[in-house]
Amino acid sequence: MNCEWVKENIVLCIYDELADDAKFEFEQHVRHCLPCRQELESALELKHSMGLHPVQEVSPGFLTESRMKLQEALEHTEQSRGWGRWIFDFSAWLHQIRLAPALAMALLMTGFAGGILTSYRMRPQNIAMVPAGAEEASIADVQSIVADPGSSRISITYNTLKPQMAEGPSSDPKIRQLLLLAARDPQNSGVRLDAFNLLTQKPQNDEVREALIYAVRYDRNPGVRLRALEGLKGFVRDDIHVRDAVLEALLHDTNAGVRQEAISLLDPVKADMSVREALRVLAGHDQNKFIRSESKRVLASTPHLE
Amino acid sequence: MVSQALNRVNDSELIRAAQRGDVAAFETLVRQYDQAVLRLALHLTGSEADAQDVYQEAFLKAYRHIGNFRFECSFYTWIYRIVTNLCLDYLRRRQTRREEPATITNSDGGETDLLDRVSDNRSGANPERDLMRRELGSKIAQALEKLTPRERMVFELKHYQGLRLRTIGEMLNTTEETAKNTLFRATQKLRGVLAPMRTVR
Repeated sequence: MNCEWVKENIVLCIYDELADDAKFEFEQHVRHCLPCRQELESALELKHSMGLHPVQEVSPGFLTESRMKLQEALEHTEQSRGWGRWIFDFSAWLHQIRLAPALAMALLMTGFAGGILTSYRMRPQNIAMVPAGAEEASIADVQSIVADPGSSRISITYNTLKPQMAEGPSSDPKIRQLLLLAARDPQNSGVRLDAFNLLTQKPQNDEVREALIYAVRYDRNPGVRLRALEGLKGFVRDDIHVRDAVLEALLHDTNAGVRQEAISLLDPVKADMSVREALRVLAGHDQNKFIRSESKRVLASTPHLE
Repeated sequence: MVSQALNRVNDSELIRAAQRGDVAAFETLVRQYDQAVLRLALHLTGSEADAQDVYQEAFLKAYRHIGNFRFECSFYTWIYRIVTNLCLDYLRRRQTRREEPATITNSDGGETDLLDRVSDNRSGANPERDLMRRELGSKIAQALEKLTPRERMVFELKHYQGLRLRTIGEMLNTTEETAKNTLFRATQKLRGVLAPMRTVR
């Protein structure tokens, strides 16, 4: 070991990147070599000095703001579906088949089932050769009319809209799917409200919770948003997505009643830094007097955290 | 070690869910790393607005391309690779503009002196010494600006983020040896620039 080697490796030594044996030799050398020891001290001094330009901790408010902006952006972003994703990776497929035959079989079966279902849905049911059923079902729209010039025969392609009814217990997956569909019905807020009244009986279901969060964020009707908020009540403590949705409602909802409900929902998690940051902002600047006073009250109830 | 392995297993499940289009799973992944990413971006850019841009672009890029993630490295390394590339681009752009960030821009558009971020927690600190510390802090910030973007990045990841050189090499798509040489050059430059400065203790 010579001085040249030591100088080249001083930086590794001060950042603890030297192997144990090399470090031992390094220390032995430095102990007896004054120029190398001075070099080491100078490097250590530099390392110490860099502390005068410290890494700033990210403030909770800035973090929350960044997260919200990202969340908004994610809603308008789709995952890349380039050609590369569709190229069949034979080796990976072989690897997967070898490791998980059951999974491979399930995938194949799903593929077949999906194919059958898709073709069933896409079958042109709306083409009627005989107009006998036309009066039985309401006609949604006519797609095309083709008249045969050689005869009096006319071909009309039309779609029908036939009301149907489903019955079953609330545990029936088909009923739940229909309720979830109803919960996003853009036309009828009464239907959405009815759907949420039933769905919130089982909010532990992921799909239901997702529908509730969606409604809190985007439903146009404040009554529906309020009902959805109530449905999320039991999950604010444990589910961070629910907490974020409630926090967003508190900060941005246009309806004071919804925001008031959001404050009461956030009460059990008032120690959360993001929640406290939001409450501080509202306590100081919110236009609504009640929201300001409620925010102050919640903050004041935990003086040890202030 | 056990907790690291568990994190990795949890990450794998979340990544697979995100690859199936589950945004909630992706957001859970984001929560595990976003604070560190934001801290790194903020320290490198010195501006809250720029740091937020880097943060958002990094995670959106990760979301768009998560289908290409092949589990050959940890998600942490993968996301840091994206972030460091974006930060490198940012530093290169800034270098061509020759900006001198003696101040940082906060989210309100106001400017804060970099030196104000240098804390002095000692009781009874005297103004003269405080002034000297602030001057030194300023010199350090200027010295860091003199590094090339790659040197700055390696130094940042090693000195401020405390990462191993091997990990830094992986993140920057280079070898551990190259990362080591870059760190050596960075510290040599910093020592050269800051040599006349006396350390205040």
